[in-house]
Amino acid sequence: MEFLNFVLIFTTAWLVFRKPEKERLAFRLLLVSAVLMVALFTMATRTGILPGVNY
Amino acid sequence: MKRNAVFTLLALAVLVLSIVPVGTAVFLLGFVYGDSPCVMCWEQRTGMVLVALTGLFILRYGPKPKYIGLSVLLGAWGLFMGLRHTGMHAARDVGQGFSLEILGAHTYTWALFIYWVCVATMGLLLMMVTHEDVPAEPRRLGLVDRLAFGVFLLVAAGNMVQAFASTGPPPYMGQSDPVRFSFLPKNWVWSLEEWTPSAISLRGRWAIEKPRVTGLPADPAAGPLANLTALPVRDQRPLGLELRGTVTDLAYEAATNRFLVTTQSGVYITDGSLGRIVRSTVVDPGYSIDLGPFAGAAFLERKYVMAVGENKSFVILHENDKANADKNYRFFLDSYDKFDELTRSRLGTVRARMMYTMSAAFDPASNSIVTVTVPNAKVKRLVISRFDRRDLTLSEEFMPSIAPESGLKLAGDKRSLDEYYVTGAAIVDGRLYALSAAYSTVLVIDLATHRVVSAWAIAGLDRPVGLAVKGGDFYIAGESGTLSVAARPDAASEAAGSAGSDAVTKPAAGKPAAAKNPVRTGARTSPGGRR
Repeated sequence: MEFLNFVLIFTTAWLVFRKPEKERLAFRLLLVSAVLMVALFTMATRTGILPGVNY
Repeated sequence: MKRNAVFTLLALAVLVLSIVPVGTAVFLLGFVYGDSPCVMCWEQRTGMVLVALTGLFILRYGPKPKYIGLSVLLGAWGLFMGLRHTGMHAARDVGQGFSLEILGAHTYTWALFIYWVCVATMGLLLMMVTHEDVPAEPRRLGLVDRLAFGVFLLVAAGNMVQAFASTGPPPYMGQSDPVRFSFLPKNWVWSLEEWTPSAISLRGRWAIEKPRVTGLPADPAAGPLANLTALPVRDQRPLGLELRGTVTDLAYEAATNRFLVTTQSGVYITDGSLGRIVRSTVVDPGYSIDLGPFAGAAFLERKYVMAVGENKSFVILHENDKANADKNYRFFLDSYDKFDELTRSRLGTVRARMMYTMSAAFDPASNSIVTVTVPNAKVKRLVISRFDRRDLTLSEEFMPSIAPESGLKLAGDKRSLDEYYVTGAAIVDGRLYALSAAYSTVLVIDLATHRVVSAWAIAGLDRPVGLAVKGGDFYIAGESGTLSVAARPDAASEAAGSAGSDAVTKPAAGKPAAAKNPVRTGARTSPGGRR
């Protein structure tokens, strides 16, 4: 999944660099990538979502 | 000119973020040294790349609110990720961490710092931005801007390569314990371990329920130790003391013939009959170390008493008839002129770390304080912790086993001493008497051999929370305010033992019959035992 995310990131940066008129598409891809990153981190830490320290 | 400087600074910030943490991680640490990020490191790295990507959006389209907002969100999430990851290892011993160490700090710690720098940088740049910086059309990119884009694309491509080798194509994803990076496909390990269903929790292993004596099984016959001898309760009556709160523990000092009673925050010293309070106070549990409700009470050396909270925080008080009431306002909620607060701190444990305690006892022979754990849903262990009185630091911890010569047997292969829920403790002559509210059982633990040398059942107790030994009797305080008294069968053998005898315990006249599991003196060094 991390590979997929970096493909999205690379594509987004390429669009902003070479196809600036595709701003809306690029921003949507950026949002998808951010959500995917949050989802993957949450998946990895779902057994203890908050920092694992004394509360 | 000034406006271009803002974008140049932003381009430089994107370059620094792309090269220093992310580029170094993938090209140097990854491709050269074979470092492979764990799943959390991957997302922290991805977050940094996304912050840099948002910077590229601003370079191209100007500082539109949605880009600024997203960059702040990404920075905030990155700080959380850094804290979450660092928190896993932050409390370990010095030098212990996970994976690579850079300049004395492990990589996840650096992530926390880098996100902090990102957020601070965003704030600085925002202070320099005006509405004039938002162009109607996409900006034409200057040399530094193009360099930022080029480097970013190179770093993103490098991460694509490393991510494919280390984590694989979807649905494979990062691993908690990754394999060293390699360009050779035969060394690639792709995993679906993170997709395995597991319970979702906010605090994870730190979500430990508070201890309580209600709802515990009281029948000794259902306990983990089979065929225990029952000690009859000789006397049971209400504890007729005016207390602020309910009783939480009980202790006895033979030298002064006084009892110590604690409530949630109250400390009461009574006469030898438990009929009259001779000195008391209520400790202010707030505005400093969280003491938690008191669960253990102990007389220390003369005129010093200790109250231990269920969270193993504690306060030591010094009896003082001339205590300065004005000075003590900050420490107490009541009776400011009876005690001085000597110290308030925490007892740190290792084996018992994830468990609460409901008992404390003082051993004058070893000048130590002893606590006993109560099991919880996640950790079920009977752990006895001993702390040196001089520095109040952990001296030893052990999980007692059954002394073979005791004659005690578990009621089944799956039964364990860990099932006991010790709520009261007292020490006499090197023996720890641990009263379990679960199964109403008193365990006698030899502190030298770490063995359970005897055990008795005391039926008829009502939610026992405190145990004191006065002469040949157990004094047991219940949460409901009852006081139960039962004879201590091994009291007679102490006298015999002190006379050099190794005879089996015999009941004293008028006392209950001897236990089926009599204690023999001289049994402390016997091998074996079973938990």
